[in-house]
Amino acid sequence: MPKLTIDGKAVEAAKGATLLEAAQQLGVYIPRYCYHPKLSVSGNCRMCLVEVEKTSKLVTACSTEAAEGMSVRTDSEKVKAARRDVLEFLLINHPLDCPICDQAGECGLQDYYMEYSLKKSRFPQGDKVTRQKRRALGPHLVLDNERCVLCTRCVRFCSEVTKTSELEVMERADHSFIDLKEGKSLDNDYSLNIADLCPVGAWTSRDFRFKSRVWFLKKTPTVCLGCATGCLIEAHHNENTVYRLVPRPNAETNTWLCDRGRMTYKAVQAGDRLAKGVIKNGLIDLEPALREAATRIDEQHAAAAVLGSPWLSIEDNAALARLAAEALKTENFCFDFSAEQGIKDGILVNKDPAPNTAGAGLVKAACGGLSLEEFSRRIADKRIKVVITEARAAAFIKDALKASGARLIVFAVNRAEIPPEAYATLPYASYFETPGTFVNYQGLKRRAEPAVEAKEGVKPLWAVVNKLAVYSGTSLRLDSAEDALKGINFR
Amino acid sequence: MPFKLTEEFKAKAAHICARYPRKDAALIPLLQELQGQAGFVAEEAMDALAQYLELPYARVKGVVTFYTMFNRAPLGKYHLQVCRNISCHMAGAPALLGRLKEKLGIAEGETTKDGLFTLSTVECLGACGTAPVLQANEDYFENLTPEKLDALIDDLKHGKHPLKR
Amino acid sequence: MILNMESILLKDNVECLEGYFAAGGYKPLKKALALKPSEVTDEVKKSNLRGRGGAGFPTGLKWSFIPKDAPGPRYLVCNADEGEPGTFKDRELLLKNPHALIEGMAIAGYAIGAAHGYIYIRGEFAAEAALLERAVADARAKGFIGRNILGSGFNFELFVHRGAGAYICGEETALLESLEGFKGQPRLKPPFPAVKGLFGSPTVINNVETLAAVPSIIEKGGDWYAAIGAGKSAGTKLFCVSGPVNKPGVYELPLGVPFRTFLENNCGGLKAGKKLKAVIPGGSSTPVLTAAEALAVNLDYESLAAAGSMLGSGAVIIIDESQCMVKLLQVLARFYHHESCGQCTPCREGCGWIEKLLNRLEDGRGTVKDLDTLYSVAEAMLGRTICPLADAMAMPVMSFVKKFRSEFEAHAAGKCCPPDAAGEH
Repeated sequence: MPKLTIDGKAVEAAKGATLLEAAQQLGVYIPRYCYHPKLSVSGNCRMCLVEVEKTSKLVTACSTEAAEGMSVRTDSEKVKAARRDVLEFLLINHPLDCPICDQAGECGLQDYYMEYSLKKSRFPQGDKVTRQKRRALGPHLVLDNERCVLCTRCVRFCSEVTKTSELEVMERADHSFIDLKEGKSLDNDYSLNIADLCPVGAWTSRDFRFKSRVWFLKKTPTVCLGCATGCLIEAHHNENTVYRLVPRPNAETNTWLCDRGRMTYKAVQAGDRLAKGVIKNGLIDLEPALREAATRIDEQHAAAAVLGSPWLSIEDNAALARLAAEALKTENFCFDFSAEQGIKDGILVNKDPAPNTAGAGLVKAACGGLSLEEFSRRIADKRIKVVITEARAAAFIKDALKASGARLIVFAVNRAEIPPEAYATLPYASYFETPGTFVNYQGLKRRAEPAVEAKEGVKPLWAVVNKLAVYSGTSLRLDSAEDALKGINFR
Repeated sequence: MPFKLTEEFKAKAAHICARYPRKDAALIPLLQELQGQAGFVAEEAMDALAQYLELPYARVKGVVTFYTMFNRAPLGKYHLQVCRNISCHMAGAPALLGRLKEKLGIAEGETTKDGLFTLSTVECLGACGTAPVLQANEDYFENLTPEKLDALIDDLKHGKHPLKR
Repeated sequence: MILNMESILLKDNVECLEGYFAAGGYKPLKKALALKPSEVTDEVKKSNLRGRGGAGFPTGLKWSFIPKDAPGPRYLVCNADEGEPGTFKDRELLLKNPHALIEGMAIAGYAIGAAHGYIYIRGEFAAEAALLERAVADARAKGFIGRNILGSGFNFELFVHRGAGAYICGEETALLESLEGFKGQPRLKPPFPAVKGLFGSPTVINNVETLAAVPSIIEKGGDWYAAIGAGKSAGTKLFCVSGPVNKPGVYELPLGVPFRTFLENNCGGLKAGKKLKAVIPGGSSTPVLTAAEALAVNLDYESLAAAGSMLGSGAVIIIDESQCMVKLLQVLARFYHHESCGQCTPCREGCGWIEKLLNRLEDGRGTVKDLDTLYSVAEAMLGRTICPLADAMAMPVMSFVKKFRSEFEAHAAGKCCPPDAAGEH
């Protein structure tokens, strides 16, 4: 544990820690382009040069190990001059096309220029090295080599994280550039991380490009519901529209986010978003849809059943549990889901595609219910004639439904989710619009926080359940997601 | 036509790889082998070699584009490389280059129509004491004068000066 | 000082193994193998032999940095990637005395405990590489290389590895990268090669000339070698002279020889009608000396450092009054721009910028402001990169501008070169 001082402040760094990390511990920020905590140290950008007493040359903070008794300055004139010079070098061949660059507002060149340089350009526009301008590389990315600062974060990401090694710096000197095999697509499952990693506007997201200036975006911390990994994310949104999802790095689960996870927000704004109920294939307003659903449930009151869902929050599963217990007063309910848990690609994607198998398990532990096998058997035996569940969970009982022809009433966010067997569909608010608690494969409870508001008339699932109960003649008295948890004894 | 590494190449490659504890260290010698056979390293050759050495293609392409001696397209039969660094410069390399351009009717980086000569300029060839110097394919020609240069071109044209490669 | 002493490195009739052997070659190897490896290193330490590639680091000390108890393989690498403009000494040595290198490597390999050695030779030296391959094969056939050398139980395999055209591979960690089959981009240090070098193992990298001096040191003793030369600059050095002198070429002289003596006695003075203007004493990256500075300096590490330059690779580039310094600097800038590996920002961007500024000055578009920019860009590159290539660009720029400012100013004022500068433009 070496003790050293940085800008006069004493710090005890972990063994093997770099100066950059030790400074971070003190809250001293050292600018960097090539350094990334989760990638190998490359030391090429030279932005993090700092002064170490009794060392003649400046050293890179990203690669220099903190040693006992070191006296480091990150704020000396020498360091400031080095930063100005590096920025000047980086900008001479940069196109300075900020007005049409999507990175503007979160660009390492802009930010550091304002912070550390403000120097007037000495380089004639006509002398700039020109490189290939924007081109789409793969399903998610656009590369503009002219804006590139050759920090090689993208190259290292592909070789060290995805291990797909598509990218490389070609050629050398100031005409070098990032490229991959001609005709090949940069289509690994994590490609959009490159747009985040890129400190400048060289790599941008095709999905996000030109949709919004970043300074208009509001950021809501939430959780990805793309699979059981439950990555922490941030939803970026403005004026009730979500524009992108980015990872919220954390030690427990994720630094990155997979491309599929990033696209999960699309469902919220998709054209097939349900704002009304669906009976068979026809859209009808929510109230008549609820009435119709309630009628069908009442018809078969003794044979009605509720199936929870690993795609729903704990609260919404709890609401369904209470619907079964208090309104339908049936023992025909099931929160018994099991799926193989664990990272299947060695990075983030989970074997279990559902985000809350473990959370549904908590409801099962508290409320009991049938096993999924028994539940299916009862459908097949026609002891269950109406099933209320969430659209994707219906897949668990698909065969039994087919065999028995039981009526299926589902909750769905998008039309695409509705299974063909569904008789009635009730819309509900997505977890980008309403809060919910999820438990990931590690057993960590994580909150989905609403980033946007649901369309008028679209209610959280617990609220729809509450209404359904009323139509069936019972009040569950649910005024919030948390209300659903009342009366359930979670261990 | 898809590029295939010959059995002969593979036998040689196995021998070269054995010099190193990791076979990917043989990448540059093997690229040199391929270039020796074809005169240049084609994209398909890079691909085939990448597969042979179990390397990402990008690594191979990065290496090929980093080193100046790899040609990515076919050149003329004789690749004339005029050194233009400081000692050769002082010894008259620019005039020599000018003479070659005129004589061959091509600019730097071009190949004569008959496919005989490609003209390039190169940085220091490491023979500064015998400047000016030109490398034709792999052979050095030193202490050049306009007369010697003319004679060399004529010899090469008439096949009178067989080069090693 | 003895100037006509017997050569240690450049000898006649030792090109072939037979000749080399007849002249007493490979006896030092036998002698070394009878010593403890540490004793061999000690002898080299005693000799004060310093790296002849340019940096001048003490060779014995470098060998002793190999961790004593590190498990796994160790490697010896010979840097024969001779490419610093003005330098052609290793080529001469490889052609004239390849076995001195091979024997030196076997001895060095024994000293550091390496069972494998590689000679990384620049790709353009095809003929030299072929000769070297043959020499290694000859040495192997006689049991000087290979398994159980001379019955000592020491195994040492030696391979010739050709580069593919990249000046930067003369930098030792770039060389290692290249030898491993990567782009020649220098590594961050630490870790130094002695700890983590080739294939991640402890490695010593020495220049051709350095290793070729080792057999004589073992044969005659470190003290003998240390007594040659000038103080801390011990031994002989190959000086390669180019430019308008009567006898350009490679000369082996004791370190410390006065430049004036060297120029007049060895190089035969300047060609008729030429007047000395400047000297680049140690290869293109070393700061230029004015004629007066050069004529007053001795050719050794300390004297050249005191004169504000460096011994470097011993590549003495003579510049006469007919040359335009702006043009020559432009030629050098074009080179460094071409050879920058592109890794570090200041070098990647700075070398190109400097070339462009010199292009402006050279073709009459430049201003005094450009001249100031030129100098400050060089300053901004100095000491801020992973390897010294940026410094190698910055040092000539700063010294050329400082010492020949009037020529640069004349260009900036739209006038061309001084009246007697008749060089090519």
